[in-house]
Amino acid sequence: MFFHIVLERNMQLHPRHFGRDLRDKLVSKLMKDVEGTCSGRHGFIVAITGIESVGKGLIRDGTGFVTFPVKYQCVVFRPFKGEIVEAVVTMVNKMGFFAEAGPVQIFVSNHLIPDDMEFQSGDVPNYTTSDGSVKIQKESEVRLKIIGTRVDATEIFCIGTIKDDFLGVISDPGANP
Amino acid sequence: MAEKGGKGYLPAKGGKSALKSPVGQDDRSTKSKKGKKVQFEYEDSVESDTPKSNGNADSVKGSWGKGGKGDKVPNGTKKPAVKTHSPVDRRLEQEIPQNSTCLMDCEAAEILQGIQEQMVFLSQDPDIKLPVSFDKGLTYAKRAENYAKPQTVKKILEPLKKHGVSDSEICLIANISPESVDEVFALIPALKPKIGKLRNPLKICLDELSNLKEALAKLKDAA
Repeated sequence: MFFHIVLERNMQLHPRHFGRDLRDKLVSKLMKDVEGTCSGRHGFIVAITGIESVGKGLIRDGTGFVTFPVKYQCVVFRPFKGEIVEAVVTMVNKMGFFAEAGPVQIFVSNHLIPDDMEFQSGDVPNYTTSDGSVKIQKESEVRLKIIGTRVDATEIFCIGTIKDDFLGVISDPGANP
Repeated sequence: MAEKGGKGYLPAKGGKSALKSPVGQDDRSTKSKKGKKVQFEYEDSVESDTPKSNGNADSVKGSWGKGGKGDKVPNGTKKPAVKTHSPVDRRLEQEIPQNSTCLMDCEAAEILQGIQEQMVFLSQDPDIKLPVSFDKGLTYAKRAENYAKPQTVKKILEPLKKHGVSDSEICLIANISPESVDEVFALIPALKPKIGKLRNPLKICLDELSNLKEALAKLKDAA
């Protein structure tokens, strides 16, 4: 889910950037440093929407760099347990399938796929029901529930399930119209 | 890697075994004594940034580093906090970052679209580039092709607030675009305790959303 949040960061600026464009340089550096990153606590920082305040700079001893505390507003994408997302399948194998919802990768284990769906290997690996009416393959859209999250320094990885009611395939690229 | 108060994990020894363990089972009760750490945090597991109201706070906070407390029940006399009536609800609120506002996908799409349009002017500076996660986020937010204005959708779902539905749950309902009330209660179990007083207002909201969607689809076809 997307959130709008205010974060704070200490930005270091080299003295060569000082001058009348100091604030612009600070904002550019912030955008370069922060946009596209992921933190475990806040999720993926998708875009900065505004600068709330720039505090007073503090000269660091010995280097001449100046540290500015910057408060900024941003849009973050953070999945959480219990959330229902619509993801696109990126890879299918006998252990389950991987899907992507925005910048987040989700894995659905074969244990969390309905029992009536079996893995079919081949050129296009997929999970199919016994009557062939429902198929999960690459590029299929599925609705799943996130049941677990793992965070590390740079990304969030989730475990999902489609074994509950109202979960499963939304659209299948290989289906007949 | 566990941040302070964050959602760190440590892999279980038999990598696949964590995945193969049944969902919703009480893994903690079998693993807690051995000090094993759960690889992924399942829906029923208890981890929190904020103290639980029933006083299990200390054991909850202390458990991350040790990994041994598992169920976080001090004396074993009470059931774990997660089993009380709205565990998912409490977890939703815990999971959500503090000082943040939930955004519906249509709201996020509007904001990100605006930023993308501004990039046309900023693109002269080769140093400023939109990250990959921006494109993925925008594509995801626009996936429903919901042409309704976020303010309209919010207004339609506003009456649910006075029945105890939180902002995050309202955003979740808007993102799911459910077709029936049963779908909402199945996908958001936290609302089940309020099923009695929520059923009618929810039906009204869903009918209005459905009418709005139909009207917009007709407008789009006519255009």
